[in-house]
Amino acid sequence: MRKCSGFTLLLASLCLALICACAQDSGSSPSESIKHPEITEQEKLLPCSECHQQATPEVYEQWFNSLHGIGMVKCYQCHGTYENFKVEPATSVCATCHMDMIEKCPKDQKCWACHTPHSFKRANK
Amino acid sequence: MVQTRRDFLKRTAALSAASYLGILLPFKDVGNALAADETTWHRGSCRLCGTGCRLELGVKSGLPVALRGVPQSRTNMGYLCMKGMHFWKLMNHADRLTTPLYRAKKSDKFKKISWDEAMNIAADKFASAVKEHGNNSVAYYGSGQALTEETYLFQKIFRGGLQTNNVEGNPRLCMASAVGGYMTSFGADEPIGGYADIEKADCFFIIGSNMAEAHPVIFRRVMRRKLDNPKVTVINADPRISLTSRIADIHLQFNPGTDLALLNALAYVIIDEKLHNEQFINDYVTFKKSKGDTIDFEEYKKSLVDYTPEKAATIMGGKVTADQIREVARKFATSKGTLSMWTMGLNQRKQGVWANNLVHNLHILTGQLLKEGADSLSLTGQPNACGGVREGGGLCHILPGHRPVEKEAMRNQVEEAWGIPKGRIPAEPGLHTMAMFSAVNEGKIKAMWINCTSPAQSLPNCNKYNKGLAKDDTFVVCTDIFPTLTTELAANLVLPTAFHFEKTGVYGCTERRSQITRKAINPPKGAKPEVEIVRDWATLLAKKLNDPVIDQCIKPFIGLEPEYALPKAIWEEYSQKLTKGRDSDLSGAPYEVLEGMYDGVQWPAPTVEYAKTGGTVKKFVRGMDPLAEKLKTDDKPYQFYGAGHPDHKLWVWMRPQANPEEMPDADYPFYLSTGRIIDHWHTMSMTGRIPELLRANPYSYIEINPKDATRLGIKPGDMIEITSRRGTNIMPAKVYEGPIEGMVFAYWHDQHPDRMINKVTMDAIDPGSKEPEFKICACKIKKVSGPQALKPYVV
Repeated sequence: MRKCSGFTLLLASLCLALICACAQDSGSSPSESIKHPEITEQEKLLPCSECHQQATPEVYEQWFNSLHGIGMVKCYQCHGTYENFKVEPATSVCATCHMDMIEKCPKDQKCWACHTPHSFKRANK
Repeated sequence: MVQTRRDFLKRTAALSAASYLGILLPFKDVGNALAADETTWHRGSCRLCGTGCRLELGVKSGLPVALRGVPQSRTNMGYLCMKGMHFWKLMNHADRLTTPLYRAKKSDKFKKISWDEAMNIAADKFASAVKEHGNNSVAYYGSGQALTEETYLFQKIFRGGLQTNNVEGNPRLCMASAVGGYMTSFGADEPIGGYADIEKADCFFIIGSNMAEAHPVIFRRVMRRKLDNPKVTVINADPRISLTSRIADIHLQFNPGTDLALLNALAYVIIDEKLHNEQFINDYVTFKKSKGDTIDFEEYKKSLVDYTPEKAATIMGGKVTADQIREVARKFATSKGTLSMWTMGLNQRKQGVWANNLVHNLHILTGQLLKEGADSLSLTGQPNACGGVREGGGLCHILPGHRPVEKEAMRNQVEEAWGIPKGRIPAEPGLHTMAMFSAVNEGKIKAMWINCTSPAQSLPNCNKYNKGLAKDDTFVVCTDIFPTLTTELAANLVLPTAFHFEKTGVYGCTERRSQITRKAINPPKGAKPEVEIVRDWATLLAKKLNDPVIDQCIKPFIGLEPEYALPKAIWEEYSQKLTKGRDSDLSGAPYEVLEGMYDGVQWPAPTVEYAKTGGTVKKFVRGMDPLAEKLKTDDKPYQFYGAGHPDHKLWVWMRPQANPEEMPDADYPFYLSTGRIIDHWHTMSMTGRIPELLRANPYSYIEINPKDATRLGIKPGDMIEITSRRGTNIMPAKVYEGPIEGMVFAYWHDQHPDRMINKVTMDAIDPGSKEPEFKICACKIKKVSGPQALKPYVV
């Protein structure tokens, strides 16, 4: 029971960190200090989505039905895997496929200022 | 509601049995695809599938730091899949081979030796095999991942130097049936159109391809076309519902091997409802019962009476309705442009060529060809199966430039280009892949060079062929970047090679497009480019065999530095002397032109000026293809100049439904099929060493239809024994509404001896293409335990 509470708390922290990160356009990100909850070596061999279908079902659904989800761009591409996990991906990760868009993007803005994380729908202005 | 961690772990343990692994997973927190000032970016092609994505390698202080897509590229428009994003992590991997390794006996341990020793041993063994056992006692087995320059040079030394056509490669296992299909239907290999049709197509007919995982960036283009244009129709025909089906309007799910009936039924409806293009047929089409037996339209039409939609639906197992078949036929025939795409689901079949013919038939009957958005497009699995192997002379029956070995005039052209005596290249084609490894089993091959591939894992029914590879009868040289199951089982000599971006050369992708990758970083100390290795080996061979013709084969390349000048000289010889005047003409595309392009050149490209436009988007169309104008035989807009059809027509073939070699029966009641998963490439020797990719799918599992699982008492994660008449695997179950009832499906990347599915698969071959029937065999399954702890395994 103690483990369950801790895990849930950590997940809540992650979500909070993500919300905070998304609200920021620039400056140091609080998410940089957030690590993935500790998991065993066995658990590290599970695809991210297998846990997160259960742990963060809303996020999973948003991703699964997004262009990234249909196009099979999986969690680890943006967020890394356990050891190099980042709640808020670096903009440079987006540049792997979206260099042309990043060149058009104002330098003081991050991608998710316009594109909602995980669903990647363009936010209404 | 968030599930508790305890509940969650219980569930996931049932989904994926896993345990602590003892495998090196180096993490470097780099991968910055935004250019820092000190990072330089080097354009090239992706190393993995056959899409031909263009990307840039970021290099900082001489080390790779990231990959990113090239937005201007007409293949990928800047997008990369996950394998393509990550493969730079292999360049400095701790497991890279950096020293030649040798063992006299395969039961011995390898010892490190110098390059001089290694080259001497390799030359000695091949020379003595030729002297003692004849020219056909040696063989080359290459790869659709080798650069064109590499395949070309290997085959030149084997054919012109060692006088054997025992030149093969793993593309025999993946696209030989597509070659057979194009040659027999269109008279010329490789597609008429290409990816540019995707954004113009109004109907996609995807059959035998899980492109969402095997060709993700092409899938992305199709997905985008569909999502932006909801009226576009996507049809997916496959015994297994896959991630590709997510964008499909119609999924036709049928029993494995019954798709020939489906394709004939579509033709039946097209003709029955008068949806065929009569003018196109009158102008451009010949009907064939067999190669020498031409028939007329009425006879062909009569042959289809066995394939009414109702009859076909029954043959296919009853899940597809007759009305669905009619609907698909109507959409196929009446759309503004219909684009068919397929891969191994059609090719890796005993009826592989026939299945290809039947797709082409539909395009020919309806005229869904040669116009925007319409094409019959075989997707190629490997990055250079087309460019290096199909075009560069990497199969036992084809010389460079699409020249059949059996034709004397073709051999003479090659001999003249190489400056070697006429008659030097043997008249008989060599051993095709399965015959070559059968000859290894029989001890007839005394020395074999395996380059950039792992047949110990990738051959079907591999237990059978691994017995021969493990014997000391055959001396085996392996050139590779990592240890593989083949280096461990079969090699006497392992030579460490440079990886992609550590050397220079050309890849030719699915759509007749050749693209260069220039060296951007140094290989690990001790590893060498294959072209340098082959040249040095051939120099020694010439001495040991006292054969000046071998010297002549490498004379143009002596003294050239191997990083750029050597591959450039090889490409010059190949493109200027061997492709000039052929349908795959790349004489307008020397390195200087290729280097100036974001995305290379589509052949035919006979002049530099034309090549700089990007080359030929559509073959056979006057005004779009310079050869169509040059070789025209009349005033019609389409000119089918392929050497395979003397009548300059497209051929529609009668090809009846025929069962796979092995059907389920009382003892082995299930169909088994296999395929790729997005995170892994082939035998996992590369992707298994990238932590993100390994973890995403650390081992194979067997997909089982929920109805079958319920019937057999199988739950997710249970360990399942899969047995065929050839071998057994044990892997965890994934109970999944994917494979049709009565069918199971396994991924083939896993190296673990218990989960190497090619121990179970079938080695029957298509009689025309000689491609094995990986995709269908009979098996039985049984639960052997509940979920077990497993270890990922990478040799």
